[in-house]
Amino acid sequence: MYNRNVSPSAKKSQPKLEWRSEHTSKEKKKDSHSIPILCVDCIPLFHGTLALAPMLEVALTLIDTWCKENKYVIAGYYQANERTKDFRPNQVAEKVGARIAENFSEAAMIMVDSTRFTMGCYEPILAIYDHHENKWKCRDCNVDSFEDWCEAQKITSALLEGRSYESLIDFDNHLDDLRNDWTNPEINKSVLHLC
Amino acid sequence: RANVLIIVLTEMRDKLRKWREDNHRNSEQIVDVGEELINEHASKLGDDIWIIYEQVMIAALDCSRDDLAWTCLQELKRQFPGSQRVKRLAGMRLEALEKYEDASKQYDSILQDDPTNTAARKRKISILKAQGKSAEAIRELNEYLEQFVGDQEAWHELSELYINEHDYGKAAFCLEELMMTNPHNHLYCEQYAEVKYTQGGLENLELSRKYFAQALKLNNRNMRALFGLYMSASHIAASPKVNATVKKANVKYATWATNQINRAYQVSYARCLL
Repeated sequence: MYNRNVSPSAKKSQPKLEWRSEHTSKEKKKDSHSIPILCVDCIPLFHGTLALAPMLEVALTLIDTWCKENKYVIAGYYQANERTKDFRPNQVAEKVGARIAENFSEAAMIMVDSTRFTMGCYEPILAIYDHHENKWKCRDCNVDSFEDWCEAQKITSALLEGRSYESLIDFDNHLDDLRNDWTNPEINKSVLHLC
Repeated sequence: RANVLIIVLTEMRDKLRKWREDNHRNSEQIVDVGEELINEHASKLGDDIWIIYEQVMIAALDCSRDDLAWTCLQELKRQFPGSQRVKRLAGMRLEALEKYEDASKQYDSILQDDPTNTAARKRKISILKAQGKSAEAIRELNEYLEQFVGDQEAWHELSELYINEHDYGKAAFCLEELMMTNPHNHLYCEQYAEVKYTQGGLENLELSRKYFAQALKLNNRNMRALFGLYMSASHIAASPKVNATVKKANVKYATWATNQINRAYQVSYARCLL
């Protein structure tokens, strides 16, 4: 179902970016807990029903393998809900987030607020949740969670204008045709070009 | 030059037709192609123009292009005054503008004239869904299906609503209906297997494995079914509750599935290089 208040389709509402992931983010492993976690990429998963287990397990397994091969770790999960006004974490988000937190204690859960989405991306529209004592607590939105927001804003806006989301591959696309590459090398190249 | 123009027009028209036939919801592209066709070449489209107006209007609503949607709607209203089908489109526009009460009234007026109008009833249920009123949407859809028991789209929609509410038992029931009436549809089989898997427990896992296998029999290129077969067989084999025979059999299934998966990837890499 489409999020029709947003110009691009909901599944591809944002291109992949360092700090913006569609369903998992991976990061370079840091040895010390005092260094902040840096998410360096993300993998879009599904654009249909999220509440079924098998394909989610497959995706997490394959991505985990790929992460290990590339010295990354799955560091979080993000979700954009079907209905624009629905930006709170639901049972699926909490479950997947908790699962990831089992393997990586500082895992973040990220919810996209589509009501504030604009093509210009002037403000970040993510709510970042941390796992504390089995509950997800929302981070203060005044805290800057981005490595370089200005760069990120420019790049994201350019990617949106260029409709890069039309070529975004998620795991659903991969299951439809194995040739579809969920690591999205072309979009990653575009991101680097725009840096 | 005229010939080139005709070729371009034919191509655009064919694209729109193919998207209609395949039920593609690529709304931005439909708006791109359709808007140009409508603005520049309306006169050359013959009677196709009306179905194109409808297609472009819906795509325009998806893209928040109310200007374009309005234009299409006016043309359709003028050509088909009093049409229920056009009334429904007017209702969809109100939905897109989130004027849900007005939209609902529009559909009610259709239903007053024609109580069996299924499209209007389904739009009313869509409004409930858009408003996040899942319980009510489920209730209304169940009532609808008591009357229109053969409506597959409705059964599928209901299964999705139940899945989103984590009511897997009832979702399974809907998919069972669909499998009964469509025994050759591999997608329903595969989705049923996913629901059973999600429900969990040894019995459901075994059922899910059987239905993943069945989906594969119906379509041996269904990757979800293949992965599902691997996952379910693996979990069964690893369960402390199964005896050695069952364990051995499921290890065999899982191994077979792994080989098939590897082959499928090899084939796809080879295709990539072509």
